[in-house]
Amino acid sequence: MEQLILASGECDLTSNAVCAPENVNELFEFRTPIFEIFGFPVTRTVVLVFLAAFLAILFVYLGLRKSSTRPGKLQLSVESLMTFVRDEIAVGIIGPHGIRYFPYLLSLFLFLLIGNMFEITPFINFPITARMAIPLFLSLLTWVIFVFAGFKRNGMSYFLGIVWPPGVPVALKPLVGLIEFFSIFFIRPFSLAVRLFANLVAGHVMLTLLLTTAFVSVTSIGSIGLVKGLFGLAWWALALAIFMFEMIVILLQAYIFTLLSAVYIDTSINVEH
Amino acid sequence: MEELKGAISLIGYGLAAIGPGVGIGIIAGNAVQAMARQPEAAGMVRTTMFLGIAFTEALALIGFVLFFLA
Repeated sequence: MEQLILASGECDLTSNAVCAPENVNELFEFRTPIFEIFGFPVTRTVVLVFLAAFLAILFVYLGLRKSSTRPGKLQLSVESLMTFVRDEIAVGIIGPHGIRYFPYLLSLFLFLLIGNMFEITPFINFPITARMAIPLFLSLLTWVIFVFAGFKRNGMSYFLGIVWPPGVPVALKPLVGLIEFFSIFFIRPFSLAVRLFANLVAGHVMLTLLLTTAFVSVTSIGSIGLVKGLFGLAWWALALAIFMFEMIVILLQAYIFTLLSAVYIDTSINVEH
Repeated sequence: MEELKGAISLIGYGLAAIGPGVGIGIIAGNAVQAMARQPEAAGMVRTTMFLGIAFTEALALIGFVLFFLA
């Protein structure tokens, strides 16, 4: 059964959904665009990106539209989320200066949270962060911000502190400086993007495979027999358990991406002298 | 017996997951110990634990991406 699903390239069974699950293909191929705006093709992923941004804005707007001292449920949830990002991430990690980066971190957190949520949203089932372009763009944004913040706050001593680190024996300074240079300016944005991307892709592929296996097993009871077919229900139960697990991953990855952005900004602002 | 199928990159990914698996275990275990010894520092320990896990996990994830690239 697993061969049917994994051999997406070369199988020619009657049911196309089995050979090439649509969601799995979407990860690796360019889908046909839905429509075009000024020559830019708009695929489903692009629509979902704008939907996630719109939902994030709508969430905050509806929550804070009528702020009152006796907050309702929505206002309470928006406020507790904002307080969490402000106290735990922005001010908690960066320090008192962190409040300046709070708007960026909050929008990052909300966008990632909603974008990741699409993974387990019925009828969408596709996390937009499972497309490398989106985490990579966000991590490059963080990269620009922390490099800019470092130069603005510490001047050239920010760069010199990296390539000629203080407190290291002179003989080792070039080596450590080279490693630090690569790790800060190249590996940081890359690993930040890859972490989010790989987690979401893994979860998405896992869910798709489990659900497709269950679907195929149960629908082909006629040809493979009742006992084998009912094994599909076990796969389905496992898929439901993975849904719960993915919920944790979604929250955690949005949190970790925001947290690491704050940590990177912190290390470039508060350089130890 | 059926023919074995698959790519060597699958084994590579498995190997790449060993080190980070051990590392994350050590981090989480020590974090639990720290929280048990000093419950009032639990918040700080948890944040630091997530940071440590995130940095350790990167190696496994690079292996995962290379598995797709190969």
